[in-house]
Amino acid sequence: MKYSIPLLALALAAGCSAPEKKSADGYKQTLVFGPGEEAKITEAFLTLTDSSAVELKAGTYKFNNLSLVQLKHIKISGAGPDKTILDFSGQTQGGEGIRVAEVKGFTISGMTIRESKGDLIKVNKSEDVVFRDLHAIWEKADSTSGGYGIYPVLCNNVLVENCYAQGASDAGIYVGQSNKAIVRNSKAYKNVAGCEIENTTNAEVYDNEFYGNTAGFLVFDLPDLSQRGGQVKAYNNNIHDNNERNFAKSGSFGTTWGVGNAAPGCGVIIQATSNVEIYNNKIINNNSAAIAMVSGFFVDAKAGEKINANYFPVSQNVFIHDNTIEMAAAFPEPVYHHHTGQILVGIEKALGKRIPPIVYDGISTNVITQENKVNPDSICIRQTGDNLLVNADGMNIGKPNWKPSTDMQPFICK
Amino acid sequence: MRMRIVTALACMGIFAMGCAQPAKRPASGFLDKLSDYGFFTGTLKDLQPAGRVHPYELATPLFTDYTVKKRFIVLPEGSTMQYAQAGPMDFPDGTYLVKNFAYRDSLGKEVLLETRLLHKDPADGNWKVMNYKWNAQQTEAEKWITGDRLPITLTDDAGRHVSTHYQIPNTNDCKRCHASAGKLIPIGPKARNLNHLGQLEKWAAAGILQGLPEMSKVEKFPVWNDSVHYTVNQRARAYLDVNCAHCHTKGGDADNTGLFLEYGQETPAHLGILKGPVSAGNGAGGLDHDVVPGDPANSILHFRMNSVEPGTAMPELARTIVHREGVDLIAEWIRQLPKSK
Repeated sequence: MKYSIPLLALALAAGCSAPEKKSADGYKQTLVFGPGEEAKITEAFLTLTDSSAVELKAGTYKFNNLSLVQLKHIKISGAGPDKTILDFSGQTQGGEGIRVAEVKGFTISGMTIRESKGDLIKVNKSEDVVFRDLHAIWEKADSTSGGYGIYPVLCNNVLVENCYAQGASDAGIYVGQSNKAIVRNSKAYKNVAGCEIENTTNAEVYDNEFYGNTAGFLVFDLPDLSQRGGQVKAYNNNIHDNNERNFAKSGSFGTTWGVGNAAPGCGVIIQATSNVEIYNNKIINNNSAAIAMVSGFFVDAKAGEKINANYFPVSQNVFIHDNTIEMAAAFPEPVYHHHTGQILVGIEKALGKRIPPIVYDGISTNVITQENKVNPDSICIRQTGDNLLVNADGMNIGKPNWKPSTDMQPFICK
Repeated sequence: MRMRIVTALACMGIFAMGCAQPAKRPASGFLDKLSDYGFFTGTLKDLQPAGRVHPYELATPLFTDYTVKKRFIVLPEGSTMQYAQAGPMDFPDGTYLVKNFAYRDSLGKEVLLETRLLHKDPADGNWKVMNYKWNAQQTEAEKWITGDRLPITLTDDAGRHVSTHYQIPNTNDCKRCHASAGKLIPIGPKARNLNHLGQLEKWAAAGILQGLPEMSKVEKFPVWNDSVHYTVNQRARAYLDVNCAHCHTKGGDADNTGLFLEYGQETPAHLGILKGPVSAGNGAGGLDHDVVPGDPANSILHFRMNSVEPGTAMPELARTIVHREGVDLIAEWIRQLPKSK
C-alpha cells in the first residue's frame, strides 16, 4: 500500500495514460479489471471513493464475496451477461455474494452473478439503485440455492430492467420494504417465486416474463416490519407455466409466513397488501390458481394480533381487470404434495368442477369488525368468461359448514 | 509481508503491461504498521501499554471463535472521555480504540492474529476503521484492508482442539457491524458494559473520565457467564445484545428483519417471540418462528447460532465455529421463556 503513490508517479512518468479514465456519464474515475485480478478487484471495492465506476472485462471471475458500503454514485459494469461472469461458489462467510449497503446512486449492469451460498446480490438501505442486464443464477434449482437472486431492501427508487433470475429458493427478483420500485423487461425462471414485491409502496411491474417457477408473481405484506406495502401495479406481463414443486426448504415446506406457502401452479398471489392493480397481463397455464388472493389469516390464525400501523392482514382495494387468463384442465402434479396446494385441490373437490382461475380466501375485514358486509374490502374484478372466481370461505375450511362459492356477483366492478 | 509481495508484483505488472490501471487509494490517516503508532512499549507482541493507553475489559464481550482479546483506549494528550448514559462513551476527537485478537494454539500458547483500530478522525469527527494482520514471527502487524482466512487449530474454553479457518474481516465487514444510521460508532465501550472490575471509578479517579455519576446510578451490564450473580434471562439478554444487537436494531444492518435484540427491547415480536422470519430463506431451517418459548429446537435463533453454514450462520461475521457455551445459554433462555396462551 505504501508504495502505491510513488508507483503511480512512476507509471505516469513511464508515459502511461492516466490510470483514471474520465467517463462520459460523470464518474470521476473508472477502474478497469480483467479475469485473474480478483484480489485487486476485492481491494478496489474496499477502497472505492465516491463517484467511481468499475469495469470488469469479459471472462469468469471467482470471488468469496464483494461489498460496497457507505458510498455515493457508484457503477459496476461488465461486458454483458454472457461475457462477464462472477462466480461466488467459494463463498465461505456472510449472507450474500455481493453486498451493498448505504450507497446513494448504485448501478450494476452487464454481467452474470452466480452460485452464492446466500443471496446473490443484496442492496440494503440505498437510494437510486439500478440493476440492468444483470443475470442472477443458480444452475441447480433446489433448496441448496440461496434465497434471493436480485434483492434490494429498505431502498428508495429501485429499477430492475432487462434482468434474469433463476434457481432462487425464495424469490428470483425480490423488492422488500422499499419505496418507488420498477421491475420491467425482466425474466424469472425456475425460482420458488419468480418475482416478489413485499412491504413495498409505489411499485410497478410490467413487460416481464415469469415462467417455470412454483409461483410467478407475488405481492405480499408481512407483519412486524418497517412499513406497510401498497400502491402496486402489475401490467403487460407474461406470467405462464408456473407449476413447479416448491423447493423452499428440503424436508418441509418452509414457514408460516414465507414463500413455502406458495402452492405450485399459482400465477399471481396477493397476500395482505392493499391497493393492488393487476391488469392487461397474460396469465396462462398456471394450473392451480391464475390469481390467488389471501389474507394473513389464511396462513396464521393469529394475524389479527399483529395489526398495527405497519400491517393489516386483509388486502383491500384490489382491482383485477382485462387480463388474458387460461388454465389447463388439471392441476399440476406437485400441488398434491403441498400443504396449501391440497387446499386448492379440496376446493375443486367441494365444487365438483374445475377450480376457477381466481381464488379468493374470502377472509375479509368482516372477521375483524364482526360484521357481515358484502365485499367490505372493495375487491373488484372485471374479466370476461364463466366460472371466474371462487370465494373459498377460508374461515370455515375443514369445518362441516364449509361452503366455497363461485358466486362472483359481489366482486364485479361497479 | 504478503502485502509487500503483492505490491511488488503489481509493480512489475505495471511495467510489464505498460498501462495497467492500479486502484487509486484514498489518503487515509492510518499508519502502515502497528508499531508505528507507539501504542505499546517493549516487545510489541507483549502489548504493554504506553502512557495514555488504557486497557479495558467488557462485562460481556462479543464471541469471536474463542479468541483472547486485549482492548485499549488511546486518548490524545491532555484529553478526557465523557460519560454517556446510553450508547458508547463520548470519546474526544483523535481517540483510538485498539482491539487485539489472539487464539490459543493446541499447546495453549496465545498467537496474535489481528489488531483492529477504530479512530475518531479529528478532520471530521467521524470514526474510521482499519485492520492490522500479525506476521507469523509475531514481530509486527501490518495494515490489512482485504481480510483473510487463516487455517488454525485453536483450544476452546473447554480445552477442546478445534480446527477452522479464522476470518479476518475486511474493512467493509468492519463497517457492517459498526454502522448505525449511516455512520460508524464503537460498539463495546458503553458505560454499562465498562462498569466492570471498577474500571469506571478508576478512570474517574485518574482524571481521564468526566461526568461519572454516583455509581448507584450507573447501569451494570450482566456478565454472560456469571450464573452466581445473574439470572439466565439477564445473561442471555446481555449476550444477545452484545453478539446480535449491533445489527439487529433500528438503523443497524439487520434493520429489515424486524428482529431487534437490544438489552432494553421489550416488544415480544421484536425479540423474535413467535415472530415469523422475513427474508431468512433457507437460513430459517424450515422453522416457523425466531423464538418459540419453551422450545429451542424449533427456534430459528437457536438454529442459526448453532450453524456454521454461510447463509445460515448467525452472526454472519466474526464466527466460523459454534460458541457452544453461548448456544447453551440461549437454549436455556428459550426453554425458560413463559409460554403464551
